[in-house]
Parts: sequence; structure tokens; C-alpha cells
Amino acid sequence: MSQEPDLLTRRHFLRTSILGAALSWTVPIFVERTFSLLNAEAAETATQIATGKDHPILVVLQLAGGNDGLNALVPFADDLYYRDRPTINIPRDKVLSLDGYVGFNPRMAPLKNLFDQGKLAVIQGVGYPNPNRSHFRSTEIWQTASDADKYVKTGWIGRYFDNCCAGEDPTVGVTIGSQLPQTFTAEKNTGIAMTPGGRLGFGKEADASEQQVFNELNGITQDHDLTSGASIGSINGPSEPTLSAVEYLQRTALDAQVGTDKIEAILKRTKPEAVYPKTPLGNELSLIARLISGGLPTRVYYASQGGYDTHNAQENSHNNLLGQLADALSAFSSDLTSKGIWDRVLVMTFSEFGRRVAENASKGTDHGTAAPMFICGGTVKPGLYGNHPSLSKLDQGDLIHTVDFRAVYTTVLNRWMKAPASKILGHDFAALSFV
Amino acid sequence: MLSQLSKEKWTYDTAAHLAARAGFGESPSRLEQWTHQGMEATVQELLHPANDTTPPPSCVVPNQFAELRERVQEATSPEGQVQARQALRQATNQQLYGLINWWTQRMLTTPAPLIEKMTLFWHGHFATSGFKVRSSYKLWQQNETFRQHALGNFATLTKAISRDPGMMVYLDLATSHAEHPNENFARELMELFTLGEGNYSEADIKESARAFTGYRIDRFEQFRFVKNQFDGGNKTFLQQSGNWNGDKIIDIILKQPVAAKFISSKLWKFFAYEDPDSQLIEKLAELFRQNYEIRPLLETIFSSEEFYSQHARNAIVKCPVQYVVESGRTLGVNIPSGRTLFAVYQRLGQVPFYPPNVKGWDGGKSWINTATLTFRYQLARQLVLGIRLVNEPQPAKPRLAAPSAEPSPLAQASPSAQTSPTTQTASSTALNVVRLPALPVDQLVTAEDRKDPEAVVRKICARAFQTTPDPQLFDRILAVAKLKPLPLADDAIRDLVALMMMTPNYQVC
Repeated sequence: MSQEPDLLTRRHFLRTSILGAALSWTVPIFVERTFSLLNAEAAETATQIATGKDHPILVVLQLAGGNDGLNALVPFADDLYYRDRPTINIPRDKVLSLDGYVGFNPRMAPLKNLFDQGKLAVIQGVGYPNPNRSHFRSTEIWQTASDADKYVKTGWIGRYFDNCCAGEDPTVGVTIGSQLPQTFTAEKNTGIAMTPGGRLGFGKEADASEQQVFNELNGITQDHDLTSGASIGSINGPSEPTLSAVEYLQRTALDAQVGTDKIEAILKRTKPEAVYPKTPLGNELSLIARLISGGLPTRVYYASQGGYDTHNAQENSHNNLLGQLADALSAFSSDLTSKGIWDRVLVMTFSEFGRRVAENASKGTDHGTAAPMFICGGTVKPGLYGNHPSLSKLDQGDLIHTVDFRAVYTTVLNRWMKAPASKILGHDFAALSFV
Repeated sequence: MLSQLSKEKWTYDTAAHLAARAGFGESPSRLEQWTHQGMEATVQELLHPANDTTPPPSCVVPNQFAELRERVQEATSPEGQVQARQALRQATNQQLYGLINWWTQRMLTTPAPLIEKMTLFWHGHFATSGFKVRSSYKLWQQNETFRQHALGNFATLTKAISRDPGMMVYLDLATSHAEHPNENFARELMELFTLGEGNYSEADIKESARAFTGYRIDRFEQFRFVKNQFDGGNKTFLQQSGNWNGDKIIDIILKQPVAAKFISSKLWKFFAYEDPDSQLIEKLAELFRQNYEIRPLLETIFSSEEFYSQHARNAIVKCPVQYVVESGRTLGVNIPSGRTLFAVYQRLGQVPFYPPNVKGWDGGKSWINTATLTFRYQLARQLVLGIRLVNEPQPAKPRLAAPSAEPSPLAQASPSAQTSPTTQTASSTALNVVRLPALPVDQLVTAEDRKDPEAVVRKICARAFQTTPDPQLFDRILAVAKLKPLPLADDAIRDLVALMMMTPNYQVC
């Protein structure tokens, strides 16, 4: 009875899923057992079955490279800002003031509009104790939600999948692009990475015997049509490290067939209802909007924008990045508003760290610590949260964080995703009130 | 010392295992020869190969596009500047595509596969990206430096890389000076290149950054030391005080016992398997620590019983470069060039000269996810059948820490120069269709073989899988072959090759 839902059971489940009865080796008793196993697991973990129609959706947006928070959310009323950044500051009269002390970079005007419409919250001074200034380590800390001196293998969203989405199909998490972020690393279900136009199969011209052998060699033994539309498409295998390389490949082939067919079907019947900027981020968000409106049972989407590692001559490049971010988010918000689903979506940005307060000799900024996070969505409680870090009381030239990033995650998990945050994060953090 | 593989355990399969790991696979006749000559002779052949006479790429001219750069500087209108920038970007991208193509071709044909495999290893280790460096000359120079020291001395290589103009741009060493030392290189030198995280302090980073000041690049894109930009003061680094320069910092680093372990472990994981036990690594590190010579370390690895153990077999997922090169080298499929090759590598998840960040590629199972596996299978069919190769203008975007905001070459240069210039409309839905010749089948099988499905499957399996395939896998492919009319036609054989390439087994070695 305490049989683990391993790779074998998962494949058997797919083989024996309702329509799988057409395949000759179906064992009806196994169907029953698999369902009871699923139900048992669902009961234990409060599985949230997603229908694709009404569950809340989170979009995690990574600003990769370390966003210079001080030139995005500018403390323009503080003379120390202008003293420490003599050449790369945002002039006081250009800043889009939010509260008389801080304001947005002028290239973020579309986000100022969202803020004014009450669709955007800004969390100031987000970081963590004993900050690490390595891109990789700090990204890992943000992605796994660990303490700075602890190493955790799974991602915080991956643990959400494990805890709340057991037995759901692999599209529960979708990342656009060809790399899965560590945020999604899970014991059971890691979600999928997708690029448009991909379908896994032997090819349209293949005859039946070739297609069958292809499926067998890849460990795919269900007819892929069987699972389309079903929200309990698969039981996922055990944690990846225990799989051999070949087993891991078989599992991925299965996920690809289950996931990409469904996605391609949605892309055929949806289109954007806003004009997106022709940037990589604009394309990603446009795609995500279509998948949401098409009813993909995805809880968490992951997108990213790179280029924030501005050590050198940062003025133009950083402003452009912020402009691209604001334009893309603004289009996303109009698109989802037109589609009538903006109320179901929450976008959360993060970056591995902010940057040093003082500019460097190359008219750029080096790796620092705390930075703001931006949260937008149809039902977000707008405004500024947390205190802006002091520019006079620094730790070795760096800002001291005022909000722990895991308090933000706690808010998102508890209040938005209705998930047990303390179990997923392993600590209790007081939630904020932006949701 | 690790125990050596005994003579009677050296077989065709061990030779094939070595060929895939220490290189990019070999032809069956070469593997027969290796089987016959024994392990020692084969390992020596890999470690002391014949000269590779590939000429340098045509794109390697220092300070190229100086005129285009001037046009950007001197543009009088914003539109003029945008145009000049675009012209410079496109010209630079074309050169970088040429460089990627050049190295791919070299790996395909080289008589010194281990040198190229180690060049690829060092490229991933001392990662430097064309996204930021934007000079095919600098990246080619760096590639030659990796090749020159591929099997040489790690201390010498590390010092050479600290003065390498590509690296100096990538990690901002070229703009670091005594008053404001830039810490980027100093940090990664310890975190990623030599010691690993946790084996030094933030203070060590600050102090060593001072020692790497005064490094400059001249207008011929060569290293130059500028003494008055150098901080010659006293520095305390890893508990030792002195007026250290950069080379001395590297010497002090390599005296740390953990350094030899860090590199030995990374090499073992690259060549053998991902989870070595600590005793094995300690034995390798003991040897490596003596003088940081790479050749004896590799000789030990490739001669060890552990390297050929069942645990090591089929345990490594081929990286995209190996997937592409090995398919060309062993099966003879035609490999695309230019921007198409760039796009192929991009969708497979590894573009040479464009690592995603300074950490290089994560490798291992992370090569494979639903998107990359789907593309591998689509590509296999296209390479073999020679049907169209479709480039979707996918935005190139490193997942992490892109060091510059330079847009992807794919994002702007829409359909490439290989197709009609009238399609240069930068539309995001435009597809770039390139035709490649199909796999030449006559190189794989004789007319006689074509009458016997089993002979055909045996011959192409030997090339595709190198080692003897799993009997079940063999039988299933044979079953498909037996359904086809005899003698087997070119396209029937191509179907079988594609089927083999579209299996989990083909993705591993």
C-alpha cells in the first residue's frame, strides 16, 4: 500500500489511463490502484487540482545579473545618493516620484501608470542576512529560499509543486526558453521548459511501426492524445539524482510529449490582445498570456530578462533594461485585462542582488545587496512596502536589507497561492499585506 | 594511485568508451585498431597526437571594424548612430558565426581529439562570452591559448588567462586600476577557476583585486602592463603579506591544498562520472598537486579501472557540441554553418564562444529538458534526411547574469544572408529555411549489405552507439528494418539512422 509513486508507476498510469484501455496490455486492476494511490497522496498533501480556469497564477520574473535598485527606485530626496553617484545618478527633476522620497527611473513610466492605477506594489530593501555577492550563489539562495550559509537542492517553487500539486501533469510549471531554473527543481515534478514549435515524435511522415518503436525506445508507451485535457495526467518519478542518465532521458521524453502537445494546441487558438514590445521579454510575456487564457493548468510561469550585471558604463544599458521591463509588463497587463483574467495573475520580479551604493571607476556599479521587488496584478494591494534602506548606515558600502525576501515569498505562497508557506520555506516569516 | 585497467579487460567496448569520452567518437575501423594496439598505446596516442594542421579562421584580424566603430562615434544624428551600431553589430556577428563554424569543423576533422575536448573543457571552465567581448579576434586568441595549454600546466594556463584580452574584457580587468580595483576577476578567479566558494574571504577578494591592476589591452588587442595603473602596495592575501602582483596571487592560490582537488574533481566529473567518492578525488589531487601538470593526470584517469567501470558507462549526457560533432564525425551527417549553426547550438543549449555566464555550462543532466530533448530529436531527423532546417528567430538570452545587454544576433539579423536578402524584414514570425544535403549512405554500407537488414543495422549501430548496443534496442531497430523492402534504399537507411539518433541511448556516452 505504501508503494512509492515512482517512474514505473507513473508510466504504468499513463499506459492505463482511461483511453489506454485500447492498448492490449492494459491491466484494469492497476488503473484502480493507481487512482487510489493518487487520491491517497492528494489527501495527505492537500493537492490543489488545477482546472486551468479559476486557480491563481504566479509569474516569476527574474532580472538576471543583479538589478541596480537605486537607479530603478531612486531615493531622490537623499543627497547621499547624489554624492555617491556623481556621474550615473538619475537627476532629481527626472525621477517619477512615488512618495516624495523615492521615485521611478523615468524609463519606468508605464510602471508608474500601473502604480497610479493601483495595480503595482513595490517592496523596498529586500534582501537577506549575511548577503553573498556571487551571482551564482546569491541566485541559488533566492531560487532555493535557503539561508545564506545553507545549501538546499530544491527550489522554493519546486517544493510548492511537491507539496501542493502532486500527481498533476508536468505543465504545472512552465518556463519559457530552453533551461529550467533552479526555482523549479523538485523531488517529483519540476515543470517543463518550452520553446514554441516543439513537438516530440518520430515525425509526421513516420509509419505506425516506426512511431511505435520510437515510443518504446523512449519509454513512452501511452498514446499522447490520451492525456490531453486531463488535469491528472501523470505521477512524476522520484527525485532526479536517483535516475540513471537513460532513465532521466525517458522521463523527459514523456513529459515533453504530454506537455508540448497541449501547449501547441493552445497556441493555435489564442492570440495577443495588446501590442507587446519586440523584445525577448515582450515575446515571453505575450506567450505566457496566451497560455493562461488558453486554460493551461499551469500554476507558475517563469520568465527572465538578462543583462543587469552593469559593472561598466551602465547609464544607457540599465535605463534600456528598465524601459524594456516596464513596456513588457504594461503590455502584459493590458493584454490580460482585455482577456478578462488580470485578476487571476500575480507577477513578482526578483534579482539576485542590488548593487553597491557608490559608483565604480568604470561608470558602473559592482555587486551589492538589497534591492526592490515589483509585484503587479489585477488584485494586488498597491503601494510601497517596507522601509527604504538607509544611505548613511551601510555595511561595507552596501545597503542593509529591511525586508527578508522570504517574507515576500511567504505572502505569495500563503495569501496568493493558498499554500502552506512555513512548510515550503522551512521557517515562519511574517507575511506582508500586498495581497 | 588508482588501480590500472588490466590488459585482458581492454576490449572494443573499452576503446569505444575512451573514444567518446576523450574525443568525439571514432570510426569502427579506428576502434578496431585501438582494440588491437592496446590501452597504453591508445592513451599515449591521445596524449601525444599528430599535429592538427587546420589553418586559422579567416576572421582573425586584430582591431577589425575600426571604421565601423568610428562611424558609431562620429554619427551626427540619432538615426545615423542606430544604423552605424546595427552595421557594426551585424559585421561582428558574422565574424563570430565564422569562428563557431571554424572550431566545429576543426573538432569534426581533427587528428587530435583530446586536445579539442580539453579546449572545450577549458572554455567551459574559464568561460568568456561573445555577448560581451564582441571580438572574434580576442575569442580566437583565447581559444588558441586553451589549445596550447590544453594538456600542459594548469598554473601556466591560469596566468595566461589572467592576461588574456578576452577574459580581461569579460571580467572587467581591462578597466581596473589602482584607485578603484574592479573585483569581478579576482572573485571569479577563486570562486570558479581555482578554489571554489567558501575557501577565501571577501577581504581576500579585495586584496587580490589590487594585485590585478594595471592590466590593459593595446590597439592590436594584445595584453600590455601599465605600471602606473598598478597598485604596488602591500597586500595581505590568504594570510600572506607582500607587495604581490597577479602571478604571485595565482601561485599563492595554487599552494592551497583545495585547489588541486577542485580541478581534479571537475576533470573526473567531465570525463568519467558525476559522483566520485572523496578518496578517489584525493588520490588524483595528490598527483596533480605535485606540479599541476595536466597530461599525467589525464593519463591516470584514462588508464584507471574506475574510468572503464560499469558505473561510468553511458553515465554522461553528451553536451550539444559533442552531439553535433560526433554525429558528423561518426555517422557522416552534414553539419550546417553560419547563423544556422549558431541557431542550432542555441536551441540545443550550448553555443561555443557564448557560455551563459562566467560559471560556464552546468552540464550533466541539465543539458536535457523537455525543450532541448524535443529539439535534439527534430534536429536528428533534419540532419539525416537533409530536409529543411528551420530557424525560428528565437531570442538568445542567457538565463543568468548576461554580462551585457547586447541583443541576440538572432533577434535582429532575421533570415540570414544564405537566403534571399528580400526576406530581411526582421519579422518575428519569419522562418529561415535552409536545405542541407541528406546523409550520404554509401559511406556507411555496401551494396551487398543493403540486401541484409541485419548487416545494415549492425553497421550503423556500431557508428551511432560506438559501444555494443543493448540487445533489446538492436532487436527493435532490426524489426523496423525488416519491414522495409530489400535492398534497403537510401531513405530507408536514413530512417534507421534517425531512429537511432532519436533514442535516450544516443544522447549518452
